[in-house]
Amino acid sequence: MNMLRNLIYILRRAHARLVAAAAGEMLHGIFLAAPTGVLLFIIWELFKEQPDSRKIWSMVIVLAVMFVVQMGVARRVVVKTYHAIFTMTAKLRLMLGDHLHKVSLGLYKKREPGDLASVVLQDVSTFETIFSNQFQNMVGALFGTLFLSIFLFVLDWKLALLMISAIPCAFLCVVAATKMAEKISHKHLGSRTETGSRFIEYIQGVQYLKAFNLTGDRFLSLKRAFEELRRNSIKLEAAFGPLVITSLVVFEFFFLVMVYAAISRLDHAGGATIAIPAFVAFLVVGYRLYTPLQLVVASYAELSYMNTGLKRIRQILETPVQDSGKDSRLDKYEISFENVSFSYTDRDVLKEISLTIPEKGLTALVGASGAGKTTITNLIARFWDVQKGRITIGGVDLKDMSSQTVHGMISQVFQDVYLFDDTIYNNIKIGNPAATEAEIMHAAKKAQVTEFLSVLENGIHTKVGEGGAKLSGGQKQRISIARAMLKDAPIILLDEATAALDPENEIYIQQAIQELVKAKTVVVIAHKLQTIRNADNIIVLQDGRILEAGNHQELLESNGLYSQYWNTQQTTRGWKIAAGSH
Amino acid sequence: MRKDKKKSGLARLLELSGQKKGLLIVSSAAATIQALLTMVPYILIFYMLKELLNGRITNPDIRIWLAWAFAAVVLSGVMMFIAAMASHIAAFNILYGLRCKITDKLGKLPMGYLRNRSSGAFKKIIADDVERIELFIAHSLPDTVRALVLPLVILGYLFVVDWRLALMSFLPLLILVVAASATSGSKDFKSSIRKYHDSLEEMNGGIVEFVRAMPVMKIFGQSASAFAKYSDTVTAFDGHVKGWSRLTAPPWAMIISFLTNALLPLLAFGLYLYFSGGLDLPVFFLFLILGVGYIRPAFKLTTVKGEIIKIIEGVKRMDEILFEVEEQKSGIKPVPEGFSLEFRSVWFSYVDGVDVIKNVSFKVPQGSITALVGPSGSGKSTAGQLIARFYDLKSGSITLGGVNINDLSTEDLMKHVGFVFQDNMMFQQSIHDNILMGMDKTREEVMAAARTARCHDFIMQLPDGYDTRFGDKGIHLSGGEQQRIQLARVILKDAPVLILDEATAFSDPENEHLIMTAINELIQHKTVIIIAHRLSTIADVDQIVVLDKGELQAVGSHGELLRENQLYTGMWNAHKRAKEFEIVNETSAGEKI
Repeated sequence: MNMLRNLIYILRRAHARLVAAAAGEMLHGIFLAAPTGVLLFIIWELFKEQPDSRKIWSMVIVLAVMFVVQMGVARRVVVKTYHAIFTMTAKLRLMLGDHLHKVSLGLYKKREPGDLASVVLQDVSTFETIFSNQFQNMVGALFGTLFLSIFLFVLDWKLALLMISAIPCAFLCVVAATKMAEKISHKHLGSRTETGSRFIEYIQGVQYLKAFNLTGDRFLSLKRAFEELRRNSIKLEAAFGPLVITSLVVFEFFFLVMVYAAISRLDHAGGATIAIPAFVAFLVVGYRLYTPLQLVVASYAELSYMNTGLKRIRQILETPVQDSGKDSRLDKYEISFENVSFSYTDRDVLKEISLTIPEKGLTALVGASGAGKTTITNLIARFWDVQKGRITIGGVDLKDMSSQTVHGMISQVFQDVYLFDDTIYNNIKIGNPAATEAEIMHAAKKAQVTEFLSVLENGIHTKVGEGGAKLSGGQKQRISIARAMLKDAPIILLDEATAALDPENEIYIQQAIQELVKAKTVVVIAHKLQTIRNADNIIVLQDGRILEAGNHQELLESNGLYSQYWNTQQTTRGWKIAAGSH
Repeated sequence: MRKDKKKSGLARLLELSGQKKGLLIVSSAAATIQALLTMVPYILIFYMLKELLNGRITNPDIRIWLAWAFAAVVLSGVMMFIAAMASHIAAFNILYGLRCKITDKLGKLPMGYLRNRSSGAFKKIIADDVERIELFIAHSLPDTVRALVLPLVILGYLFVVDWRLALMSFLPLLILVVAASATSGSKDFKSSIRKYHDSLEEMNGGIVEFVRAMPVMKIFGQSASAFAKYSDTVTAFDGHVKGWSRLTAPPWAMIISFLTNALLPLLAFGLYLYFSGGLDLPVFFLFLILGVGYIRPAFKLTTVKGEIIKIIEGVKRMDEILFEVEEQKSGIKPVPEGFSLEFRSVWFSYVDGVDVIKNVSFKVPQGSITALVGPSGSGKSTAGQLIARFYDLKSGSITLGGVNINDLSTEDLMKHVGFVFQDNMMFQQSIHDNILMGMDKTREEVMAAARTARCHDFIMQLPDGYDTRFGDKGIHLSGGEQQRIQLARVILKDAPVLILDEATAFSDPENEHLIMTAINELIQHKTVIIIAHRLSTIADVDQIVVLDKGELQAVGSHGELLRENQLYTGMWNAHKRAKEFEIVNETSAGEKI
């Protein structure tokens, strides 16, 4: 079955050592089944003309001994099973994390980060909880049913067969239930994810919602997501319920049929074809044949819920990773695009672009928003893979290098700085985990981080809050520059607008940037043209194509888009809020 | 919330979610009937055995019994379905009510409270904690009813048949219940559950951070196993659950062993009685069948106990995080006629002991423009947010048209004050709805506002124009475009008071000019406070308020301040230098390649 395949896929990947645990559970299964066997034996004996009381008492003693032994065995088996499962899910979480790290950022464009995180959080947790609860039931059901049916077969194979035929019938009901619930279960999971995403959006945008009186019920998209989730949850239950319950009824029905068949035979032959003790055994023990199976069926909804989570986990693990190339060391860092076309979805963002970024030169990308500036830097960092053409650094195709190699030689200073909920010190250290304290302090100093440390309660060991909430944009930016300095990568990708994040401190960021770009290969996304007047090469982009290129003087002379931009900026530089005009 | 009236567990859940008990009662009733019906096959077996041993197995009534038994089985299935559906519907209603309540509550909490917690922690509450409640109400509740009803009825019946054996069969259950309540109520058990929750929350935080920061993770080569916060919290959680399993394993092993061998005392005692001639065989069999049959469902009570502890803990946490925090109070005074703004001796701190605004007083006359300036950390952005009542003052007051903003209802205040924030936030809904933001305006008005904010043109280029859903595949808006959408929102709102955090995304060469024109149109005839970062922008405003480290330094016009205020003059000079910045990477400065 589908679920089994998913389960095996994941158990294999996570190197789960469940075999020992399963063996333990089976051993324990003997103890679980033993009392029924003993009971059968005693009934058998009691129905004899002359019951042997000594035999019977010795069986009671066996049972008592097994009870004591079972306590010890069960404890160890339970611990073993749980530990095996928890080790597996911990591995699974790490593995998912590493895999998420290796796939192209394209995945993050297709699926919301919240959605991806919920796979690692919720789906793995669901799997962990349900599987650890059900593992014992499943092994028990398998083993217990087998054990008892052999017993019953020996007693009377016809009646045993009749009873066992309940299993495929019940199974059919369960399969039908799955089929019916499949679609709705998918919808249900979708609405769960939607709820999560909308909720995160609500929390993150709460100040906007407050400003427009849109909190609580009035933020309709969240309320709708909640409603949808409720509706789908109920539907899912209604789809599963009847058939699963029918399958439980099927078991009872077959038991009654078995009783009927047995009586009929007693009827006809006056008790000749079926031994009375056998019939009694069937009456007393037969009913227990189904108990473990009923347990499994009753938890079928749970299991299939787990399966939907497994599918999502599998989907992530099967997303191809980018890491195909090998580690290599380059000694030249000239970057070149050869006929590169690229689209995030279906609209081409870059169209047949060819350009060369000289080593240790300053190259600026200029253009309207959406022209493809950021895409070019994203491709250099190999966050995405190009669809047509190729990009090389030092003559080597990016795709032939491991992503570690590529990322190792690039530093990025962009507008959205991501700081971890940790100290400033540790946030800088990410740039080079092997750096000494002196090196970190040096980078902090050069990036003008030390300049604002004195006002913080714990200096460089102040925690920055989630996403750096406790710092200003410019302060965050300087930390990110310090990171990049510590990394000391030969290629720097830079968004010039970062300096404008904190206009009061613009000058500090500018100084920090100045330090960072010394003697590096630098690609700047430029907004204020003033900033990049000195660039060796200015590339002007429009709609994913290169419109013109050259240095400042050349571009001004050619009188194209660049000179237009330049002139507008010269006029808007004097922008003022006009008080009470017209 | 008053302590004495506080409910806990299920009662509190019903109270929070605003749901009634009706469905739960239906479910319990159906579960009770179903529990009684499950006895039918056992009783059938008993009577059959009786007939068998009396040699009357050919009794034709037996077939009629079978038919009745079958009817009972079917009815039991129906009851089971009713019980399950009723409890599930109740559960999902409660979940829904709870989620609405939580989001509503979150909207009423002060911003500072929300900012100090990770969104992962809130998400855990709304997703995990709330889901767990579903499991409890939908499954554990009917199970509990069954677990209570069945043993009572069976035991009652058995006592009537043979009280000695009944007592014996009751023994294992007694031991089980005592043992289970002893373990699950213990201190270790409770503190372990608390640790489990803490650890899970931390792991959630680590994972969410990791996934959200993926570009950074990539560029700095931080894989999940290298990123300490991810791997450490995962490992720590692993340790906790393992510790938990070690703690619960011994009682669990005992329980399972008891369950498997529950018939042992009964068997021994029954055999003793039988051999000594004091017991009929059918009665003995009846006990062998029924005497332990009720223990398994009754045993569910022990797991229910653990569940209840978890639920109470979960609800308590929800209460702690959400419902025990002081809501912002809001008044009912009518909105004033005029719209002048005034700070009167305002003191404010985010955390106790660190004052961010210290005794600041100034006035903004109606229809005039005031700029707040100061180095970063001066408190100017905070001052702007105080007008929105994102935070409450420590002392002093802010008045709008002479009325303290705390005496206005939050709704009224928000209706009359418009905000343009520093950062942009787009919601995953249509562009139209992103501009409308729930306001009572027509589509034409939305489009007019978009035109004024200079976003109509790029919106029309989107695949579905105004109905394009932001966040859909391939829909991308630049920072500048998002900024203009934010402007359109505020233009549409047309509030008489405007708080404008001079946004930073103005640095798009193409957009800059458009945004500036839009802003200049927006602020006409309004009472405006600009939190200014670029001094050249505000040189012409009516009044400039200079703040430094939370204190008011000076108030005056640009000219006055240049003459009289050192801080302002220094800032002005630094600003002029920054405007001339050019990037030079030293190798390229001299030689051209």
